[in-house]
Amino acid sequence: MTSSTEHLDEFPVHQEDGPLRRPDSGGSWFTAKRQAAPGGHDHAVDSPTMRLDMSSARRTGGGAPPVQPGRDTADDPVADEPRRGDDGPGYTLAPIPEASWAIDPGRRRTWVSRLLLLAILLLQTALSVRLSNTAFQDEALYMYAGHMELDHFLHGLALPKDYNTYFSGSPVLYPIAAAVIENHFGMLGVRLFSLLCMLGATSLLYAFSRRMFNERVALGAAALFAVTQSTVVLGFFATYDAPAVLLLALAAWIVIRTDRAPAALVLFAAPVAVLAVGLKYASALYLPTLAVLALLTGHRNKIRQPLLRGALLAAGMAVLLWLGLRFTNVLSGVQATTTNRAHGNEKTMDLVRQCVEYGGLMFATACAGMVAYAVRGRMNESPLVRNATGPGPRRRWLLGLLLVGTALLAPAYQIHLHTSVALYKHLGFGLLFAAPMAGIGLSRLVGSHFRHPQLGILLWVITLSLGLSQSVWRFETWPNSTQMIAVLKQHVNSHGRYLASADNVPVYYLRAQTRQDQWTSTYGIGYVDRAGKLHSGDDGYRAAIADGWFDLIVLDGVATPDEDKVVVQAISQSPHYRLLGRVPFHTTGGTGYYRIWVKQ
Amino acid sequence: MNRPTVHRIARTLAALGLALGLTGCASLIGEKQVGPGPDPSSPGAAPSAAPASASAGPAALPYDVRPLLKPAHKYLGVSADGAPTSMDSITAFAQQVGKQPNLIESYSGWGDNFDAKGAKNAWDAGAVSYIAWEPFTVSLADIAAGKSDDYIRGYAAAIRNLDVPVALSFAHEMNGGWYAWGTKHATPDQFVAAYRHVHDVFAQLGAGNVIWVWSPNSINPMPNVQLQPYYPGDTYVDWVGIVAYYTHLEAGTFQQLYIPTLTEVRQFTDKPFLISETASEPGARKPADIANLAAGVIAHPDCLGFIWFDYNKEVDWKVDSDPQALAAFKRAVSDGRYGFDVRNP
Repeated sequence: MTSSTEHLDEFPVHQEDGPLRRPDSGGSWFTAKRQAAPGGHDHAVDSPTMRLDMSSARRTGGGAPPVQPGRDTADDPVADEPRRGDDGPGYTLAPIPEASWAIDPGRRRTWVSRLLLLAILLLQTALSVRLSNTAFQDEALYMYAGHMELDHFLHGLALPKDYNTYFSGSPVLYPIAAAVIENHFGMLGVRLFSLLCMLGATSLLYAFSRRMFNERVALGAAALFAVTQSTVVLGFFATYDAPAVLLLALAAWIVIRTDRAPAALVLFAAPVAVLAVGLKYASALYLPTLAVLALLTGHRNKIRQPLLRGALLAAGMAVLLWLGLRFTNVLSGVQATTTNRAHGNEKTMDLVRQCVEYGGLMFATACAGMVAYAVRGRMNESPLVRNATGPGPRRRWLLGLLLVGTALLAPAYQIHLHTSVALYKHLGFGLLFAAPMAGIGLSRLVGSHFRHPQLGILLWVITLSLGLSQSVWRFETWPNSTQMIAVLKQHVNSHGRYLASADNVPVYYLRAQTRQDQWTSTYGIGYVDRAGKLHSGDDGYRAAIADGWFDLIVLDGVATPDEDKVVVQAISQSPHYRLLGRVPFHTTGGTGYYRIWVKQ
Repeated sequence: MNRPTVHRIARTLAALGLALGLTGCASLIGEKQVGPGPDPSSPGAAPSAAPASASAGPAALPYDVRPLLKPAHKYLGVSADGAPTSMDSITAFAQQVGKQPNLIESYSGWGDNFDAKGAKNAWDAGAVSYIAWEPFTVSLADIAAGKSDDYIRGYAAAIRNLDVPVALSFAHEMNGGWYAWGTKHATPDQFVAAYRHVHDVFAQLGAGNVIWVWSPNSINPMPNVQLQPYYPGDTYVDWVGIVAYYTHLEAGTFQQLYIPTLTEVRQFTDKPFLISETASEPGARKPADIANLAAGVIAHPDCLGFIWFDYNKEVDWKVDSDPQALAAFKRAVSDGRYGFDVRNP
């Protein structure tokens, strides 16, 4: 049996226009709805693809005088004389003001939405700034490299290393910006810069989701995206990920904002997108998505403009990329860190499990949203747009598949590489694109008129809970180096030689006492002994330690646990070193220790 | 089935899915062991069976004992009744000889807890606590096999947590036959294995504030016992200790008492050496013995100093056994090269 109220689940009372006017007789909410107008649908629209058709709707039914949709009986079998029957409530519903049916986003709705977005941004800020730890090795590396690049440009000092060869982003873009910020505001300033970037990305996500669909979808997308682990962590993580996400969001926004503009305007997105790639090479994974997005969001009733948009954007980005590769020397770094990245040995199922944990819920919501959108494209409840035509099913499917499928690019590549390095960050890049579909999923789950708010709340609270716990967990996966640095500060100088796991951290924190070329990491070594023989890998560490090459060795057991065992074994057989002590730290793996040896 | 019914079913399924997701996410929220962490099997990881005190180190920075390994001045050591748990005997000794000792030896039986209070007393008085750790109740083979690891860990953690230098001489006089860990009860290999094992357990616990002393007896009574098989290796040893007393049974000169042993030791290590236990029998020779000892220590740059056994045990080894001996001792250690504040070497 079908409940009569089920017919009314898209009853056109707009959620932003205050509570439904209840009759004095105190009839039930649903009963009142039943009497009012069962023919409405969904919420006010801001979809560019529908706007032209709505204008015709507005010409015929919109505008003054006040429209009383409850009296729109054209195809409403229950209007005026609803199925009251003998047990009807016996009252009549007052006319519903036009504001309740507003198609256009009125000022009030706009401001309410913006206030909600502000609340989301404040929550995102709170989630990010509550994270606390010393610099992760990548953060330390980029900031230190930025200082070196800055000295190179300003003072002509030689670079200690060719950062181009192993950075996964251009060493002259983000690192220099980070160094400049750090000079004035310290590492906290650099992390807050990342926060601004991620807040900007959420805002742009809201903006282009709103333009593609409506406020409710946009708010849902922003609310989900803002609380995922990747967003929260990247918002307080001094790496080039946050600005890269911001630029990708900006490029997507430009693509969608120019949807009905002359095709050439989409080219504004090209330099932004390519700059994102310059910041972080892996951003290139999302350039095809932007090009196809330009195609799918083009003028719906024309053929040439969408095709031209897609082609122009693809060509523009390709030319800029070619110029970037042609006139810089980042190619080796691109190959080493991105295109020809070394394969790991992590199991596929482990990687899939991580993907599900970190972004599975939002992705599932996006998939549900994709299906819901493809099945029913209308985003508005007003009867005035009942005849409005949005994108057809094929375009809706394509748009949904594009956005949702983009979220799978990074996981698929990392599963191909069998590595989980930075997986959580790269998931965030994809979720930025899937977020609008997740917003639709959330919106449809709640239903019209907030009929099932508990479901939406439940979904969001779960996402929030996961984001809360996972972001804190993530920030505790590396050791707090404060005490270790305090110990090392007593034992290092400008001419010593030091071996350290995650050496970027002491290099960064001890940059006033040492230089980068004094440090060797446990990621690799090329040691030339007195006889001129080159030793590399495990043999390199054994030979160097046997010769007493290093003045100090510090291992954390976390960054390279296997190599640490080799080093410890070599130390136990070398008469040159004695244990200075160990410094405890706590990570998500439990209590660990920095072990520090000094030369006898 | 009409459309609203489909909607209702879809939402019901979604609600069920979310409820299941909420249940499932509890395990994700509580997840603690996903990322990399210290390998429990690695030497630096805390053993799971370690006492609570050993599971987390102190907040203070590890003490760097290296300045104490080869100081510019000589150690003036003493082993006295009740010290360093009680510093009364040390205070009295210092008043008698006119100089504050900076190395205080005590004896710790296997099973005894580390005397942290004593070590702290010594440190506060400007001296390093020197512990002769005596495995009376367990075989060296069992120690090497890890059967005493819980005890060793607790001892190591207590030393580490105190975070002041402590000199540790494990199973001293191993080349003699009079102790339970000596030549009549254990092989050189067993001694070396036990010594290394104890050292490694301390290293695992991060007790870097230990000065490791390998302390054989003078070879004079056992000329046929080779020392090298007992030597654990330079990686495991900071100081070489030599135990020998000035007695009436043998010629009482530094050259005759210590140099033969030192000569043999120098064949396999250059580590600095310490007269880790000495004294002189009462008698007319005692003032000369004391002068000879003090001069011998000064004469050898690689000699760190000596520890005087200030007990009246079997014979009266104390410095004040007669006024002449005390005067000789006082005169000998008045040399500016004896004694220094270990807190500022």
